Amino acid sequence: MKFNNMSSLGKLTKARYLSSVFSLLIMLASVAIIVTNGFNWGLDFTGGIVTEVKLDPSIKAAQISQVLGHDSKQEVSVISAGEPGRWVLRYAKVDSGASADIQSVLAPLTDNVEVLNSSIVGPQIGQELAEQGGLALLAAMLCILGYLSFRFEWRLASGALLALFHDVIFVLAFFSLTQMEFNLTILAAVLAILGYSLNDSIVIADRVREVLIAKPKMAIDEICSSAVKATFSRTMVTSGTTLFTVAALWIMGGTPLQGFSIAMFLGIMIGTISSISVGTCLPEYLKVSAEHYKVEPISDAP
Amino acid sequence: MREQKQTTILNHYSAWKYVLLVVTITVMLFSALPTFFGEDAAVQIAPEAELNVNPLELHQLLISHGIDLKRIDQSNGQTTVILADNAQQTQLKTLLSQQVKDPSKLTLTLAPAAPNWLLSLGFNPIKLGLDLRGGVQFLLDVEIEPVYKLHNNAFIEAVRQFVRQDSLFGVSVKQQVDGRVQIQTADLTQRAAIREFINKQYPNWQISNAGDKSLQVALSEAEKLNIRDLTVKQNLQIMRSRIEQLGITEAVVQRQGEHRIRIELPGVQDPAAAKSVIGATASLAFYQVKQAGSVNAQTLKDEHGQAVYVARRPVLGGEHIVDARATLGEMGLPEVVIHLDREGGSMMSDFSRDNIGKPMATSYSEYSRDENGQIRQSTEVISVATIQSQLGDRFSITGAGNYAQAQELALLLRAGSMTAPVTIVEERTIGPSLGEENITNGFSALALGMGVTLLFMGLWYRRLGWVANVALMANMILIFGLMALIPGAVLTLPGIAGLVLTVGMAVDTNVLIFERIKDKLKEGRSFAHAIDRGFDSAFSTIVDANFTTMITAVVLYAIGNGPIQGFALTLGLGLLTSMFTGIFASRALINWAYGRNFSRNVKV
Repeated sequence: MKFNNMSSLGKLTKARYLSSVFSLLIMLASVAIIVTNGFNWGLDFTGGIVTEVKLDPSIKAAQISQVLGHDSKQEVSVISAGEPGRWVLRYAKVDSGASADIQSVLAPLTDNVEVLNSSIVGPQIGQELAEQGGLALLAAMLCILGYLSFRFEWRLASGALLALFHDVIFVLAFFSLTQMEFNLTILAAVLAILGYSLNDSIVIADRVREVLIAKPKMAIDEICSSAVKATFSRTMVTSGTTLFTVAALWIMGGTPLQGFSIAMFLGIMIGTISSISVGTCLPEYLKVSAEHYKVEPISDAP
Repeated sequence: MREQKQTTILNHYSAWKYVLLVVTITVMLFSALPTFFGEDAAVQIAPEAELNVNPLELHQLLISHGIDLKRIDQSNGQTTVILADNAQQTQLKTLLSQQVKDPSKLTLTLAPAAPNWLLSLGFNPIKLGLDLRGGVQFLLDVEIEPVYKLHNNAFIEAVRQFVRQDSLFGVSVKQQVDGRVQIQTADLTQRAAIREFINKQYPNWQISNAGDKSLQVALSEAEKLNIRDLTVKQNLQIMRSRIEQLGITEAVVQRQGEHRIRIELPGVQDPAAAKSVIGATASLAFYQVKQAGSVNAQTLKDEHGQAVYVARRPVLGGEHIVDARATLGEMGLPEVVIHLDREGGSMMSDFSRDNIGKPMATSYSEYSRDENGQIRQSTEVISVATIQSQLGDRFSITGAGNYAQAQELALLLRAGSMTAPVTIVEERTIGPSLGEENITNGFSALALGMGVTLLFMGLWYRRLGWVANVALMANMILIFGLMALIPGAVLTLPGIAGLVLTVGMAVDTNVLIFERIKDKLKEGRSFAHAIDRGFDSAFSTIVDANFTTMITAVVLYAIGNGPIQGFALTLGLGLLTSMFTGIFASRALINWAYGRNFSRNVKV
């Protein structure tokens, strides 16, 4: 079709407004969830000992927990790791008599202990990593803010930023709600979501800017809607392929990458939605117009 | 003036661009290939180990013990036994240690499994992170405070001695809680005298007046930084030499941040053994050198294995050394200046007064635990020097060789004093089976993601889809090739996740271009013109969209730790290569295939 169908654009505009309201509600809910639930911080941030072992499948979690608790004089969480006989043992404190040699600790239960992996992180390292992580998030946000305000006018950039904030807070709220472990890999995923969420918003913002310059007379809601429409099949294809591959990672990647792929999957999905909803509606609300993208005549004065 | 437009041909890339493209991808393909062959676990037997059987016998012996061998290589006296089953590496080393004179010269290593012609071109497999290979990682914290304290104590002692010598009554020297030294004097002349003494003897200390009759003295910030740097470097050096004893060729000992040391030991499964080596303590002692065959003498070996006869009891031990630094002496000759504490100074003074012109030996001992938990001591004479004059608490050793050797001696001397306690603050062990599981999982996810993406792009963009698919495959070749080429690049499990993400996102560049081409076709342009305009109009969007992800990749790399850096690396590299393949390579392909197609009703 050569000409834009105005009534379909109108419908799209309505859909954008509706989804924006929905997105705002999600944001409020997300903040509430994070504030009330907090996070289940992983070993990377809290410090402690995590050991993954393979034992005889007949041994029960309660037995392991009792033996370990008795040895280390502290609560030891014993979590099943996917297959029978595979356990993740987590101590909160590094010292306080926790024996380093898990094989001898579990000796009363079985002789056949296979240690798959173990991590011991001192509390000060955890503290530092948490600080570094926060710093990374902040630094990335600031750099992106700088780049956006350099490339786009602030009204347009604010939409992309709100969308970005929306996506990150949503993923964080998911981890807060499910109490899935929040570790360094998840932090990396959140940072990657920062990048990808902007990806969609920028492609649409680029289009908005293009249409603004090309058709300065057009109503702003129609400009946004037509930009969304023009980029829609691109948005679907790219998000689709990325979701496919992240799903592949989720299915085949195994336990270590589970949290990462879930975070990425959610982030990319919500990022696609938000780039269409709040990403375009905020600049519209702030009344972005062709005025802001007029080419400034170069003055003759030196 | 002629217009630029007329001189350029639509959709035409000159021949050199095609040559560049083909050459780049071919080189990267060769660079990527060894990675797909993987690596085999191996044990290296150095010539000094003195293998007492010939390779043929060794082969039969190992097979009879159930070792699954791939081959045995021998070159320049060095024998490498390459395994077919990576899990048998430790077992193989134990078996081999019975067949050699010196088991400490056996090293665990990895041999690339790629054919020799490929390796001889200089290409090597990608280095795998510990989470994929299995192994132990330690993070050590070097405590600097005790070192400052030692410097402070020595300084206080020196000032007190000066006060006594010059009979300055009523002067008190006190250590303060904040690490500064408070000197309370009776009058201004005293203060001036002390000030002059400090300025002359301790130029690195900062003096400030506090009240009318007292001084506050502290190590200058620059000197503190210098001390910290030297201390960490010294510990780094000690750790390197200790890790060498473990016989792991790919071990990594690196400084991390201001006062941390990261040690990675691939292939090591037992952290306890590695810990005892890392936690070994060292000490240093000065001995009087005796005549060969003397009754009251013991023999120590020097670095060349030659015997040095020394007195049974040392003159003094390394615990008295406060500092040792290499400098260029008055004659321009390198020397090592040693700074002893007061007690050590008076002991050395007494000894040297009676032994001017005689040689003195310096020995370096290390105590470590062996596999059975027994403490083992190894002592080596690191220098023999002649005493020129009576020595005090500051003296220098010359004749240590060139400046680099003097620096090394200074390092060892400081190491012997072991003033900075090192604690293990992080320890991670990844079992070999888990490492292999991670590789299998990661790469099957990559294969699945890649397969689905290729299929989808082929079906969705029919005519242009194959271009995107070729670009995507070229992209993978480039990433793998670059990872293998970049020194220090390590593939980790999150790194594989980054690769999988790249597969999904790399097609974005092509999608953006193809959608633009579609738009232009809808506007009624011919295919060739649509291609030209499509690439042009998509370019700025592509750069904008990739740039923000690049920012996060850079931030992640800058502040992340090992595995996260691996993710940032593949993510960032993937962005760069996808721009190359998505814009440049696809354009080349499309120009070649459709560049002259001016028909108007094309469906893509």
